[in-house]
Amino acid sequence: MGFLKNVSAIAKGMSITFGEMFKPTIVENYPDGPGPLRGAVFQERFRGMHVLQRDENGLEKCVACFLCAAACPSNCIYIEAAENTEENRISGAERYAKVYNIDYNRCIFCGYCVEACPTDAITHGHGFELATLNATNLVYRKEQLLAGVPAHVGQNVVFNITEAAKQKMITK
Amino acid sequence: MADAPKLVNITVNGKKTTAPAGTLLIEACKQIGIEVPSFCYYPGLSLQGACRMCLVEIEKMPKLQTACTTPVAEGMVVNTESEKVVQSRKAMLEIVLANHPLDCPVCDAGGECELQDMTYTYGAAESKFIDIKSHRDEQQWSPVVFFDRPRCILCYRCVRVCGEGMDVWALGVQNRGQGSVIAPNKQDHLECEECGMCIDICPVGALTSGSYRYKTRPWEMNHVGTVCTHCGDGCLTTVGVRRSDTGMEIVRCDNRDKSGINGDFLCVKGRYAFDFAANQERITQPLIKRDGKFVPATWTQAIELVADKFKQVVQKDGPQAIGVIGSNRTTNEENYLLQKFARLVLGTNNIDHHRTADFPAFAKAISENKARTASMRDVFEAPAVLLIGNDPTEQHPLLAWQIRNNVRLHRSKFYIVNSQAIKLRRQATQFVQIPTGAEARFVDFLSGNDAAAGTLTQAGASNENLSQLRDALKGEQNLVVIFGSELRGADISALVKFAAPQNAKFICLGDYANSRGAADMGLFPDLLPGYATFAGAARYQQEWGADVPALVGMDLKQMFGAARDGKLKALYVVGSNPVSRYALDPFVLQAPFVVVQDMFMTETAIAADVILPAAFAYEKSGTFTSTCGDLQMLRKAGDVVSVKSDFEIVVRIAEKMGYDVRKLVPFGKGLRADMGQSRGAQSGEADRHSVWLQARGLEPKVSPFDPLATLDEIQRLIPGYDVSQINLVSGNDEHTQLVQIQNASIPSHPELVVPSNDTLFTSGTLGRYSTVLNSVMERRATGKEVAAD
Repeated sequence: MGFLKNVSAIAKGMSITFGEMFKPTIVENYPDGPGPLRGAVFQERFRGMHVLQRDENGLEKCVACFLCAAACPSNCIYIEAAENTEENRISGAERYAKVYNIDYNRCIFCGYCVEACPTDAITHGHGFELATLNATNLVYRKEQLLAGVPAHVGQNVVFNITEAAKQKMITK
Repeated sequence: MADAPKLVNITVNGKKTTAPAGTLLIEACKQIGIEVPSFCYYPGLSLQGACRMCLVEIEKMPKLQTACTTPVAEGMVVNTESEKVVQSRKAMLEIVLANHPLDCPVCDAGGECELQDMTYTYGAAESKFIDIKSHRDEQQWSPVVFFDRPRCILCYRCVRVCGEGMDVWALGVQNRGQGSVIAPNKQDHLECEECGMCIDICPVGALTSGSYRYKTRPWEMNHVGTVCTHCGDGCLTTVGVRRSDTGMEIVRCDNRDKSGINGDFLCVKGRYAFDFAANQERITQPLIKRDGKFVPATWTQAIELVADKFKQVVQKDGPQAIGVIGSNRTTNEENYLLQKFARLVLGTNNIDHHRTADFPAFAKAISENKARTASMRDVFEAPAVLLIGNDPTEQHPLLAWQIRNNVRLHRSKFYIVNSQAIKLRRQATQFVQIPTGAEARFVDFLSGNDAAAGTLTQAGASNENLSQLRDALKGEQNLVVIFGSELRGADISALVKFAAPQNAKFICLGDYANSRGAADMGLFPDLLPGYATFAGAARYQQEWGADVPALVGMDLKQMFGAARDGKLKALYVVGSNPVSRYALDPFVLQAPFVVVQDMFMTETAIAADVILPAAFAYEKSGTFTSTCGDLQMLRKAGDVVSVKSDFEIVVRIAEKMGYDVRKLVPFGKGLRADMGQSRGAQSGEADRHSVWLQARGLEPKVSPFDPLATLDEIQRLIPGYDVSQINLVSGNDEHTQLVQIQNASIPSHPELVVPSNDTLFTSGTLGRYSTVLNSVMERRATGKEVAAD
């Protein structure tokens, strides 16, 4: 009886092995897959490298309120604020972040900064390829974190106002 | 003394308590730890009853009552937490928030906003209104004051502090009811003393500071309480610092800490004039002059050069060929160390400083008459104040504030004798205008010389006025007598003799942050620390373990004379600008080897052979003595890499000259040590650990650059300075009494007293490099709006 028991155990095991052969593969073909993520697939909620968002006019959403830095448990966000002027408008409010650094040596991707942000400026993107041979490369500057300018900005007359045209609109 | 007011019994939230009759209910509640919220109530200002946040339920009264305007009454039963009260508070907040923009993320007050705190505590975070909030653009009222109208909650604190507190009346209210707006006195801008009290007192972010706007947030800074570096009043100022590329950057100064002698007060200089620290022109590395040009050098090179030259001069030409000029802005410890350096290391008494008041004569007068000096706190409490000369509104803003508020809140009497119609005359019981320079003759008149009255009369003062004033003064007990640098030498003596029998206290006004300290620490060619003559040198020699040179040294002008004659071979100037202050010829400095320790390229520094970049008051620890004699401790707040404190520089030069540093700084001796004051805001765990060790006396050694060890020695040697060091370390002020000084002596040079003549918007060399002060002055001169940052 012991012999039969052994055979049935092997058969049971092999049935799983052979069964899997006929199911579709679920292994991601990273890094040889298609697209910018090279085959990596994410849940929407995945917390990767941060993205600093822009509003519909292409201005930065960040107003340098420092709440993300305050919320950060690993103290990895460094901000220097500056005031917007008529000539140099960076964000929608009075203030913008002149310097915005995230130190990915320290970041634990907890998402508290995203929760704290009152203007939805900082979000987690899906960037995950942060590995580097030099730790100093892991301090990301604002320029590296910023989202691209929305495609429609500069595309037509509504979104491509020259300074002269703006003045004309004001005086009318 | 009036009898203490009767106590009445009240019950608050079921707790039985007593309070003196006449106490406001809100204060009585505070006494027993019950907080009644309010926006418009501010202790010391008139009552407003505008915000309705302090509504409480009082039994037998039909409606809710404002606790801030209701005095307690016998048998009053109060409920501050009833359903009705809670509901009304919530409703009041909702109305306040109806038009308040929710721009907390960009608002400067975010994080230290009373409205935020109230909303968190009492609810009403959700609005029932759907209408669009009314918006107005932000207005700039002056280089340092910005007004954001929608944020204003109309508590009128700014209006009251400006009018009642400052006696400036630059802010007012336009329109009525819901349409009320706070408005400046000149249509769209302010013409005022720019003290910034309105900004500080604003419970929300409606009034914001031009120099701090949008720079950072309150929780991002470290807050370090230290003593203001400008005039001699010794206000406590809280310095907000942030990490920067070059150390710790000073972002703002304010008076978060109301426990200082200045209470709520801070003037334009204390609040905004810290920016010279980050001025582009600040010298941040040692400079050595080679072929007529300044070349950057390392600290080692510079200090070796200075030490070698000093040694050479002492050996070749004798110690009399070196002069040392001290500063009014360095700490007591640094001044003390400097005179010790001159006397022991160099072996000369050629040491002096820019004198702005005749403190030696004052010390002698006080100790001879067994009179007392008044602290800044006494000025607020005194039943009567006499002011001779000076214009405190311009030169001693805190003193003016104390006098004004004493008159306003305590109905004290205030007598002024001045050659100008100064602003404080508006508070005066009697104001007597005398001819310019006649202050001494007035003292003569006070002392009983009626003939002097004839020369004093002019339009503002008749003989009758003068005798009336003299009679009134003779009748005042516990008078506080304040006088400026107009009185010197024997006149001070006469004045003290006149008022001392009436139990009067005295204040002699010097101009800079540590003018009094520099004098107390013996930066004189003929006086040792504590105004002692060389006859009393034995005590000092015992403490120092070395001989004090017997020869009386040269004073500042004599040093420059000796330089011209080629007798002075080296000059060591620490934080001072004698060329400009005494209008001396800088060309005489070409011959001697001149070392200047300063922050900027001053008129004196240009003539130097070596310039050593020094830290200023906010960047080091130590103690300052205010002009009244109030001793307070500085804490290191800002930090700039590559500059050193004057203390450290002096010790390093002495060490390189081959002097035993242990003899100069008594470190390792004594019980007290640096408790972290000199380490700065970002000291970190390691330092905190060593503070713990030091506090328990477990650390084997203290640093030779530790000024606290020197404070020990100062306290042993200078009578009046032996005050509680624990109190100093915890940020309190301690009054030093000159009366304990025995055998004080007067150097015979009242003509060396040169007042700085600073106004409210100037502050010697530092003021010249302050962008904010310059922009305020430019604004006043041109009438055009100038940005402060």
